[in-house]
Amino acid sequence: MTTVTNERLEQFSSRWALLISMIGVAVGTGNIWRFPRIAAKYEGGAFLIPWLVFLFLWSIPIIIMEYAMGKGTRKGTVGAFGKLLGHEFTWMGAFVGFVSTAIMFYYSVVTGWCLRYLAGALFGELQGLDFEGSQTFWNDFINGYQPVLFHFLSLAIATFILCGGVVRGIERANRVFVPSLVILLLLLFLRAITLPGAVRGIESFFTVRWETLLDYHVWLDALTQNAWSTGAGWGLILTYSVYMKKREDVVLNSGITAFANHSISLVSGVMIFAAVYALLPVRAAEVISKPGPLNTGLAFIWIPQLFSLLPGGYFFSVLFFLALFFASMSSLISMIELAVRVLNDAGVARNRAIGFVGAIGFVVGIPSAVNSAFFLNQDWVWGIGLMVSGAAFAFAVLRFGASQFREQYINAEGTDVLVGKWYDSIVKYLIPVEVTVLIGWWFWIAIQADPNGWWNPFRIESVGTCLIQWGVVVALFIGFNRWIARKTLEGP
Amino acid sequence: MMLLIFSILWGGLVVLLLIALGKEKQKSRDETERGV
Repeated sequence: MTTVTNERLEQFSSRWALLISMIGVAVGTGNIWRFPRIAAKYEGGAFLIPWLVFLFLWSIPIIIMEYAMGKGTRKGTVGAFGKLLGHEFTWMGAFVGFVSTAIMFYYSVVTGWCLRYLAGALFGELQGLDFEGSQTFWNDFINGYQPVLFHFLSLAIATFILCGGVVRGIERANRVFVPSLVILLLLLFLRAITLPGAVRGIESFFTVRWETLLDYHVWLDALTQNAWSTGAGWGLILTYSVYMKKREDVVLNSGITAFANHSISLVSGVMIFAAVYALLPVRAAEVISKPGPLNTGLAFIWIPQLFSLLPGGYFFSVLFFLALFFASMSSLISMIELAVRVLNDAGVARNRAIGFVGAIGFVVGIPSAVNSAFFLNQDWVWGIGLMVSGAAFAFAVLRFGASQFREQYINAEGTDVLVGKWYDSIVKYLIPVEVTVLIGWWFWIAIQADPNGWWNPFRIESVGTCLIQWGVVVALFIGFNRWIARKTLEGP
Repeated sequence: MMLLIFSILWGGLVVLLLIALGKEKQKSRDETERGV
């Protein structure tokens, strides 16, 4: 492959461009369809309290780590871990990068679904759908060739954007996607909360059943939602941070990124609850809380029905699926950029790397596009893999020295807000506990659900399938560690 | 409860953005004074 000697590192043109792009990373389909579903599981407000607690005890601390590592090392995940910890730990950065890349393979399939439904909304195909009609529309779509086609189109759009580079590609796209999706969601929010009967949904969303807080499940689900929806620990924020100016702040920007993510989730949650309780009051709880096919029931089965019941439903369905597509695409481009950054650090020219990642992404994503079991398996393995990535970040900071990391990387040049010693305690004690508890809990659920087959690597959601897939990836990266380190850290 | 949570998140976001705006203006002034 063509090696790079003189490609200069581009930078985001302003703080606002950086923040908008970071918010694009964080805000995705998880904010719009997963958050309301998990909130509904706990029948409203009790979920919001632990969800807010873990904003401060998981999301913000790890996002600070990512901003600091990307800005401080100016390398993607592989190089960042290598520079921080030494060549012998480059494989760890490769694992972190691989987890997000593996998610990208099926996330582009999901982006494709959003694009298909956007097209369906625009062409009026979603109008007048009842429950059966919605099911049929989804089944006809998912069982045909279209998921592969739209998976291809999503990757084509994303790679086209990335060919523009950081400023004319990533930044320019996010200047459209992010403000648009915020405005679209706010319009939908206003429409939803003014519907007759919406107040029941809003009440349901915010009423706190305090005894629910004594149920440990709500805390674990809140932590999981933070782990999966804020971008903390994915390596994506680290990637974009490579393109920060030296004078840019780490801590305040981390707070803004995380607060914006949660704020958008909140708007989405209220919107969904209000609309569903207003339009489908009898089945409201079921509608919001059931995962549905491939965990998409709310967005692709119920939302089309809701819009069919709404005056002006055509217009609002276009707004919703456009917002969903923008949220998905803004996250997808960051996942591809992560892999491109890693290859670029290893000496591969940017456009070649984009083409390579796009092509691999398309091919490896096809099984997820055509096989539901494979899709669910990958979502399971790499979703929990993200928690291991979070652990890897915490390990990196601990091994480097939490206080030294804080002084050298976080409270470095450009910082607007200094972080105190309390941060060291969070990294040293709290995050490792959170990771252990999270992974342990998800594995425990898997063992309980399948006591005889939890070890089986061929089951869709088993402990065995996680350990085998992670194990193969880790073994490969450890095996090739010296080569990876040489290519990434020593240049062409 | 609704007002509290919206205030924490959206109010917090606005406050953080205002602080960031203030810091940016300060940085620009400092850079201008230094002739950067």
